[in-house]
Amino acid sequence: MIGAYIHIPYCRTLCPYCDFCSVDIPGAVPSAYVQAVCQEILTFRHSRAVATIFFGGGTPSLVEEAGLRRIVDALRHKFRIAEDCEITIEANPDDVTAALVEGWKRVGINRVSLGVQSFDDATLRYLGRRHDAATAVRACGLVADTFDNWGMDLIFGAQPVDAWPETLEQCIAVQPKHVSAYGLTYEPETPFAARSHDAVDDETWLGLYRQAAARLAEYDHYEISNYAMAGYHCRHNLIYWRNQEYAGFGAAAYSFIDSVRARNPADIERYTAHPGLKEESICLTDREIRVETLIQHFRLREGIEKAAFARRFGCEIRPEFAAALDGLIERGLLWEDEERIAPTARGFELNNEIGLAIVG
Amino acid sequence: MATPIERIRNFSIVAHIDHGKSTLADRLLELTGTVALREMKEQTLDTMDIERERGITIKAVAVRMNYRASDGQDYELNLIDTPGHVDFSYEVSRSLAACEGALLLVDAAQGVEAQTLANAYKAIEANLEIIPVINKIDLPSADIESAKRQIEDIIGLDAEGAILTSAKEGRGAREVLEAVVHRIPSPRGNRNAPLRALIFDAIYNSYRGVIVFVRVVDGAMRAGSKVLMMSMNQKYEVDELGVLTPGLTPGDSLEAGEVGYVICNIKTLQSIKIGDTITDAQNPAKTPLPGYKDVQPVVFCGMYPAVATDFEELRDALERLQLNDSAFVFQADSSDALGLGFRLGFLGLLHMEIVQERLEREFNLTLVSTMPNVAYHIIKVSGEEFIIENASKMPPPGEIEVIEEPYIEADILCPTEYLSAVIELCKKKRGIHVRVDYIDSKRCMAVYQMPLAEIVLDFYDRLKTLTRGYGSLEYRIIGYRPGELVKLDLLLNGEPVDALSSIVHRDRAVMLGRRLASRLRKAIPRQQFEVAIQAAIGSRIIVRETIKPLRKNVTAKCYGGDITRKRKLLEKQKEGKRRMKQIGLVEVPQEAFMALLRVDEDD
Ligand SMILES: Nc1nc2c(ncn2[C@@H]2O[C@H](COP(=O)(O)OP(=O)(O)OP(=O)(O)O)[C@@H](O)[C@H]2O)c(=O)[nH]1
Ligand code: SF4
Ligand SMILES: [Mg+2]
Repeated sequence: MIGAYIHIPYCRTLCPYCDFCSVDIPGAVPSAYVQAVCQEILTFRHSRAVATIFFGGGTPSLVEEAGLRRIVDALRHKFRIAEDCEITIEANPDDVTAALVEGWKRVGINRVSLGVQSFDDATLRYLGRRHDAATAVRACGLVADTFDNWGMDLIFGAQPVDAWPETLEQCIAVQPKHVSAYGLTYEPETPFAARSHDAVDDETWLGLYRQAAARLAEYDHYEISNYAMAGYHCRHNLIYWRNQEYAGFGAAAYSFIDSVRARNPADIERYTAHPGLKEESICLTDREIRVETLIQHFRLREGIEKAAFARRFGCEIRPEFAAALDGLIERGLLWEDEERIAPTARGFELNNEIGLAIVG
Repeated sequence: MATPIERIRNFSIVAHIDHGKSTLADRLLELTGTVALREMKEQTLDTMDIERERGITIKAVAVRMNYRASDGQDYELNLIDTPGHVDFSYEVSRSLAACEGALLLVDAAQGVEAQTLANAYKAIEANLEIIPVINKIDLPSADIESAKRQIEDIIGLDAEGAILTSAKEGRGAREVLEAVVHRIPSPRGNRNAPLRALIFDAIYNSYRGVIVFVRVVDGAMRAGSKVLMMSMNQKYEVDELGVLTPGLTPGDSLEAGEVGYVICNIKTLQSIKIGDTITDAQNPAKTPLPGYKDVQPVVFCGMYPAVATDFEELRDALERLQLNDSAFVFQADSSDALGLGFRLGFLGLLHMEIVQERLEREFNLTLVSTMPNVAYHIIKVSGEEFIIENASKMPPPGEIEVIEEPYIEADILCPTEYLSAVIELCKKKRGIHVRVDYIDSKRCMAVYQMPLAEIVLDFYDRLKTLTRGYGSLEYRIIGYRPGELVKLDLLLNGEPVDALSSIVHRDRAVMLGRRLASRLRKAIPRQQFEVAIQAAIGSRIIVRETIKPLRKNVTAKCYGGDITRKRKLLEKQKEGKRRMKQIGLVEVPQEAFMALLRVDEDD
């Protein structure tokens, strides 16, 4: 079973902090792009069963219902789609209308992730988002009316910093099943790089991060930045975090199948001209896969089940990683019992330290 | 056909740093057609990367030139270009021993400087014919008359026949070659006597093994013959020999008077010694050549492989490098903080820097070096006496009767207008005034006795700055004297770090402790736990700094499928961390050890 990811590299306008692969367009996503994605799907070389489908971006809510349908049909045509397949779409609040939401339902989408980011108007302006708080609340209502399984993305650390608790309150008020809370980063080569002096210091960052964890205590804090009500974990993202196989379609999408991590061209024209052509394919060694698997698993609260690791790789985690793991346990970043090894609360906050020890 | 001995000339070019030796060598190479014009670059003989980057000569280099003189005869000229920096003066001594004459270059704008004087004396002592050459006469500030006067007044050489050159513009090069032919005597060796050849340099080449550079003094050496290294008592067969043009050019023999290279099948590097005499194994000479005096290192530091497993590789590298730089010494040492490594001794700080750089570049090693220090003479209450080259070896204060430190006497040459600034600097460096000689109305020489430790750190740089480059310095060790010295320890999380201790003057201990601790605080990245840095004298803590703990280190963003990029990012970061030394629970970057080096700079 694999996850299928479809990248929609278009947005209405580009947010100044964003370094995802995207370009701005005035109208709907060009049908030529949809066509290319379908072609890539249909000519895909591996046959697998699909457990999850994820429309990410960019802004997938700019794809018209017909386009989404063509893509889902292509997937159904090519792959065996699991009965309980999770099909997610990412959406921007300003696009959401009752009609659009109905369309998603018709296409078979069963999970919606809203790019709310904040319920504070000043913060949304700072982030250069096109929607305001009222639009966000309305969009949540519309989505919640139709979809049981829906969630939102939030950003902390933006100015004004102290709007964060109120955003958390409003989030809880609309009762999403899933929340992703990411710290704002000032990525190089984005307009925000020039404002990096605005970045909050580590202490403040940590305060905001912990506020989220505390306020969202009713949710399962199952990944560093992700919270879910019981039964509403994002199964697609879990595939990444468990380093399982997935196929990525569309510009800049990644795949990981049969030990090969491959990347599609980020350039949309290049992608559309030769759908399925890989920009880069790296065949990973077993050791590299083990390292990546551990790094990814340690983003998850559940960590890694020792027996599952042994089953997958035919060898125990120790002795290969014994020194690193023991060091991390001693430093209080991991804990271990009979069954599993997993990050502690500090292990979430200092997650790169875990990664550094594992690669070492 | 070997050149008749009467038509061989062996000479060095010596001068103060930057007076234009290597540039003049370029002109001589050009004029004699030794190096094709298209292969010429500036300072052709400075072939090492470090030399080219820094624009200075570090290694003396020999090259053979053929020259048809104005008398119509063909001559074989063996030139050795030498470095001018004081730290490499040992290279000059070694080169002079292979020559009958020397060109003493003086920059027409700078005049005689300290190493002009020191190197001239070396040439006089070695009984060489010295030809004064006044260079850079093209400069607007050139003062030829003053330069001549200084050569006569300060060095005591006749400057009547000084040759005027502009190495840059090529003026005077032919006159130089004519003077070499007509004024420098031919070698005195006896070609019928048993072979005696002086090993003046060597290099390890990974393809060819050890390449030995020799000056044949008596007899002849032939390819295929059996030879004996006299002091090491080792026999070899000559695989290949030849001359340096400046590449290796094989030949059949090297005769008395000639300079060239020899390759034998030398397996262990320890069996070869710079300064040794090579003789014929069947017909050995009775006595070896005088050889070289052992060098006395003045600055010491520890060098440790960044990765502990590289210890043996470091030993190999040191042995190989020592062939090519016999002026540094080393012995195995260990540190609680840094593990197994070596204690090295050098002729100065630049020498130390160059050795470290060569080890890293030529042998692909990553090294951590500790703060440099001088040697100390310790007299214990028990009456026991010894020398320590490593502050961490100092006994506890209670057991010490006296600590003595090495003193030098320095000759500082400078224009008179800077004299008061120079005196001020010497006082600050605990200098004891000996005298000031006024050489002429414009220049003087201040003689001071000072602790060596004050000189090795940054005296030279300061002097240069204070005197706008016109001051220069030469010094000699005059013995140990008692000093008000204490051991300054640095502690990480309460544990003293042996590699960070130093011996300093009591009056400056607190100030230095403060600077060291603050440097260390800036150099050590945040760790998961708080790190306390303390400076202490004995059990007395004089400074405390803390490094706040790492609060967060996480990429909260979702990387999607881009996991390999994430791993590679981590691996790159980890590479940086590998360059760190784990001391207790604290990871200390190598730069931290180096950052402590120039403690005298104002922070
Ligand atoms: N104007 C002028 N500059 C010169 C002349 N000769 C050399 N230089 C310059 O002086 C600088 C030093 O020249 P080098 O030939 O490297 O001096 P050096 O004596 O070999 O220096 P070390 O080997 O480091 O002691 C270079 O920038 C040369 O270009 C000259 O005749 N006239
Ligand atoms: S943040 Fe989302 S909407 Fe904004 S530019 Fe990036 S992908 Fe597009
Ligand atoms: Mg030079």
